[in-house]
Amino acid sequence: MALFAVFPTTFFLTLLSLRTYQSEVSAERLPLTPVSLKVSTNSTHQSLHLQWTVHNLPYHQELKMVFQIQISRIETSNVIWVGNYSTTVKWNQVLHWSWESELPLECATHFVRIKSVVDDAKFPEPNFWSNWSSWEEVSVQDSFGQDILFVFPKDKLVEEGSNVTICYVSRNIQNNVSCYLEGKQIHGEQLDPHVTSFNLSSVPFIRNKGTNIYCEASQGNVSKGIKGIVLFVSKVLEEPKNFSCETQDFKTLHCTWDPGTDTALGWFKQPSQSYTLFESFSGEKKLCTHKNWCNWQITQDSEETYNFTLIAENYLRKRSVNILFNLTHRVYLMNPFSVNFENVNATNAIMTWKVHSMRNNFTYLCQIELHGEGKMMQYNVSIKVNGEYFLSELEPATEYMARVRCADASHFWKWSEWSGQNFTTLEAAPSEAPDVWRIVNLEPGNHTVTLFWKPLSKLHANGKILFYNVVVENLDKPSRSELHSIPAPANSTKLILDRCSYQICVTANNSVGASPASVIVISADPESKDVEEERIAGTEGGFSLSWKPQPGDVIGYVVDWCDHTQDVLGDFQWKNVGPNTTSTVISTDAFRPGVRYDFRIYGLSTKRIACLLEKKTGYSQELAPSDNPHVLVDTLTSHSFTLSWKDYSTESQPGFIQGYHVYLKSKARQCHPRFEKAVLSDGSECCKYKIDNPEEKALIVDNLKPESFYEFFVTPFTSAGEGPNATFTKVTTPDEHSAMLIHILLPMVFCVLLIMVMCYLKSQWIKETCYPDIPDPYKSSILSLIKFKENPHLTIMNVSDCIPDAIEVVSKPEGTKIQFLGTRKSLTETELTKPNYLYLLPTEKNHSGPGPCICFENLTYNQAASDSGSCGHVPVPPKAPSMLGLMTSPENVLKALEKNYMNSLGEIPAGETSLNYVSQLASPMFGDKDSLPTNPVEPPHCSEYKMQMAVPLRLALPPPTENSSLSSITLLDPGEHYR
Amino acid sequence: MDLRAGDSWGMLACLCTVLWHLPAVPALNRTGDPGPGLSIQKTYDLTRYLEHQLRSLAGTYLNYLGPPFNEPDFNPPRLGAETLPRATVDLEVWRSLNDKLRLTQNYEAYSHLLCYLRGLNRQAATAELRRSLAHFCTSLQGLLGSIAGVMAALGYPLPQPLPGTEPTWTPGPAHSDFLQKMDDFWLLKELQTWLWRSAKDFNRLKKKMQPPAAAVTLHLGAHGF
Repeated sequence: MALFAVFPTTFFLTLLSLRTYQSEVSAERLPLTPVSLKVSTNSTHQSLHLQWTVHNLPYHQELKMVFQIQISRIETSNVIWVGNYSTTVKWNQVLHWSWESELPLECATHFVRIKSVVDDAKFPEPNFWSNWSSWEEVSVQDSFGQDILFVFPKDKLVEEGSNVTICYVSRNIQNNVSCYLEGKQIHGEQLDPHVTSFNLSSVPFIRNKGTNIYCEASQGNVSKGIKGIVLFVSKVLEEPKNFSCETQDFKTLHCTWDPGTDTALGWFKQPSQSYTLFESFSGEKKLCTHKNWCNWQITQDSEETYNFTLIAENYLRKRSVNILFNLTHRVYLMNPFSVNFENVNATNAIMTWKVHSMRNNFTYLCQIELHGEGKMMQYNVSIKVNGEYFLSELEPATEYMARVRCADASHFWKWSEWSGQNFTTLEAAPSEAPDVWRIVNLEPGNHTVTLFWKPLSKLHANGKILFYNVVVENLDKPSRSELHSIPAPANSTKLILDRCSYQICVTANNSVGASPASVIVISADPESKDVEEERIAGTEGGFSLSWKPQPGDVIGYVVDWCDHTQDVLGDFQWKNVGPNTTSTVISTDAFRPGVRYDFRIYGLSTKRIACLLEKKTGYSQELAPSDNPHVLVDTLTSHSFTLSWKDYSTESQPGFIQGYHVYLKSKARQCHPRFEKAVLSDGSECCKYKIDNPEEKALIVDNLKPESFYEFFVTPFTSAGEGPNATFTKVTTPDEHSAMLIHILLPMVFCVLLIMVMCYLKSQWIKETCYPDIPDPYKSSILSLIKFKENPHLTIMNVSDCIPDAIEVVSKPEGTKIQFLGTRKSLTETELTKPNYLYLLPTEKNHSGPGPCICFENLTYNQAASDSGSCGHVPVPPKAPSMLGLMTSPENVLKALEKNYMNSLGEIPAGETSLNYVSQLASPMFGDKDSLPTNPVEPPHCSEYKMQMAVPLRLALPPPTENSSLSSITLLDPGEHYR
Repeated sequence: MDLRAGDSWGMLACLCTVLWHLPAVPALNRTGDPGPGLSIQKTYDLTRYLEHQLRSLAGTYLNYLGPPFNEPDFNPPRLGAETLPRATVDLEVWRSLNDKLRLTQNYEAYSHLLCYLRGLNRQAATAELRRSLAHFCTSLQGLLGSIAGVMAALGYPLPQPLPGTEPTWTPGPAHSDFLQKMDDFWLLKELQTWLWRSAKDFNRLKKKMQPPAAAVTLHLGAHGF
């Protein structure tokens, strides 16, 4: 009951209080109108800022209200925006509200008005809107100044992709205004006669110095001015990527991120975006000085958990990225240190290292990498502070590189950096016998054995090989053995052994010990078998060899080879083949094209004695011959010649010589038999003859034409082709008759020479036969006959007794002057007064007594004889032999004679007579040149020609008769001449 | 005339003085200063070199400003950029200037232009452009020094900057960025015109200062014929 009594009382009181409130509000609600509306502008942000108060608000009361704001542009009726703004209004509160205009505020006048309504739960009944405030006009154009043109907004900063509205205000509507964006004209919407706006949608980033927009006012073609703005378009700020933090020492957190695009703009319009690190648990913030990393100090009392926010910020946008982590899960260890190797031997080593201690009871996971011999091994090990790992199965004498890195074992975040060290295992004795082979040369009384061995591989050498031991043991005399120690890196040695069987053991030695021995036995009479050499063809990959198996037991085969032409020791190789194999492929990069290789295949008996089975030779690749033979031309005849190139070696060529090509060129179009037509590389035609036998190194080229020009060229050929091109050698066949002439002329010349020699030898006989001496009249048989028949007193006149007296010269009245040539003066004048005689005075010793004289008529000197050209007996002036040629005419002869005799006679002038000839006394020896000038007229013996005769020219002309000849000759008394 | 001993001593002293000062006589001192001709020639050469250098620099910088400033036919009316010294002058006025006035105008113009150029250098965003601008500024500083040298050689005093008229570059939005770009454009354009004008000035001065020795030599040579 009491309850029922209390309830009505409470309800009444509540109702009463509500009623009282309603009455208070309603009493003042009608005037709740926004008042004191003031509008200001912010040109930079293109915003209108409104502030007002609400009148009649109850004292100390709060009331939710809704304000409706209307904005008009240019004129009040042109409402461009209507919006509500809800807020709680206090008593006497000044309310603020901003509106951002798309159109720059400078472009148009704006009008603003506001009304309100109570929107409070305390007043459930419907409320009414207040009246509109009066229009507030906002215009910034008044502050422009005196320019004729303006463009807005000035220097706006927007983000790439934004929509921007610009406008221009032209004071003079007479001006024609054109606007350009980056040089391209844009078209806008005219807001009023002075104002035009342009909507630019999704503006791109062009350059950090801004996008230029300008308008040009002009009248006609006259520019009145240019005004423009620079629109700064920033790139969109990106969210930082890959943001993470970690610690190496629990003192510093190192945070990194990928900053993305730099949004800086030129002209100080916008700097690069800034980065701020904010930790939400501690509330601490740090402005990062680097664009992609930042350090955060960990304090002792810090929590283990961090919540980091990275904020990137520029003038236009803010971006953030957040990470939440436990510090112990982001431990990035520093790299291990003190990496060492202990107990290193040939195959094992112990690796030790240390880790920077982070916290107590920390377990580390470490990873070890072992690099050596081109291989890599990896091991994982879990450790505390000090790490240790046993490295086994190492190769002796090998350098290894071991490195280690660690991470937190309980919460793996990332590996530390590597720490490494190199170490080398110790040497061990070589593990394998060296591969040994030999060449045996038989010499009188002994063997020269050249041993070759291959160096052990690094795997088997187990260290540096220092020397090779060669033990030679005489099997026939077991007690004697020799040790030769050959220092490395030699790979051969030469042994001279007598004709006994020897066993040779070769071991390789390093600092630790010797390798197993390699054994070879040299028999007392090795390689006596004569084996034919077989030609084989190689390929680029090598040589494929096969052979007949050796009868009997073999422990294997050995194939050795070397360069055919080079020194054996330099290029000697061999290969071991198993006992069940009778073929192998020898392939090595060392085979060179054009080089001939000789292969020998040996079988190794169980006693390790080698037996030569087969010989093979071949080229890995045959090449064409590198040179042509030097060709000689033999037996050149008018119809043939022989070409020979005997000196050409077929062995040392870059291929097996298969034969020769002989090219022959001639003027004839047709080729000779056996030749065929061929076209040379230069396009010329010639004839070609092929010789298939490489040992046939000569060719007789016959059926040639005499006196013809031929050219030939000989080149060898292999399977790869023929030799190099070279010049043709020229040959000209001789004349057909010239040979015959030689055959005839040579014997003739020989015969003539023979005859001449004979003549010389038999000259006396010929003289006697052909031109005997003039007989001595005393010895003549006619003498006896005269004596006998006519006068017994008659005697033969001794030649010495014949003294010529005088020659009477028949004077010729109209004597021609004879001009004496030479140095002597003309004697004509002085001699003319003298009688026309020529006196031939005897020499004193010859005039001992007069005697009968026999005179022979010398017909040689008459004119006719001279005319006949018979000048053989004309006494040639000894001092003028060259004048011989001038004496071919009688006048010349005469003149010459006159001169000579005038010269020789000295005082005796010839006078001007018709004398053709004065005198001739043959000198005792015809042609005795010395006697003639000194005493030419002295006839000592008068033995041959005694007659002195002067023949007048006119008398000489008619044929001589006996009378005329007599009348013309007067034999003078010798006595008269003495007067 | 009667000469006493004191007079002869005085004459000797006078002779010694003359001999002592003989090397200082410009007409005799051939090994010293070669005169203004060489420095004018060098200034002229430097002007031509700067003209060439500016051609490439302006291309780069105007491209950096963007259109319309890098368009070849962009020729806006000169609004703003009022502080820049104008190179254009009426031909008659220019001809009526004497050498001293011309040199003074050149010197003053380059002093101003150099200062504005340094502001340009500060605004350039790319390192390459900054290097080019710095190089050009150094060359222009050299030209200024050369002009001062020529003026000194000719005996003209250097113009003293009036207090308060020293041009300064002020960072920040002194006026709109577009106008700033326009100023840059005009700066480069004025520089180009000034260099062209200076080249003509120095060429004219060079010809004027050339000694008539060459003409005399030519005349004598003709006589020889």
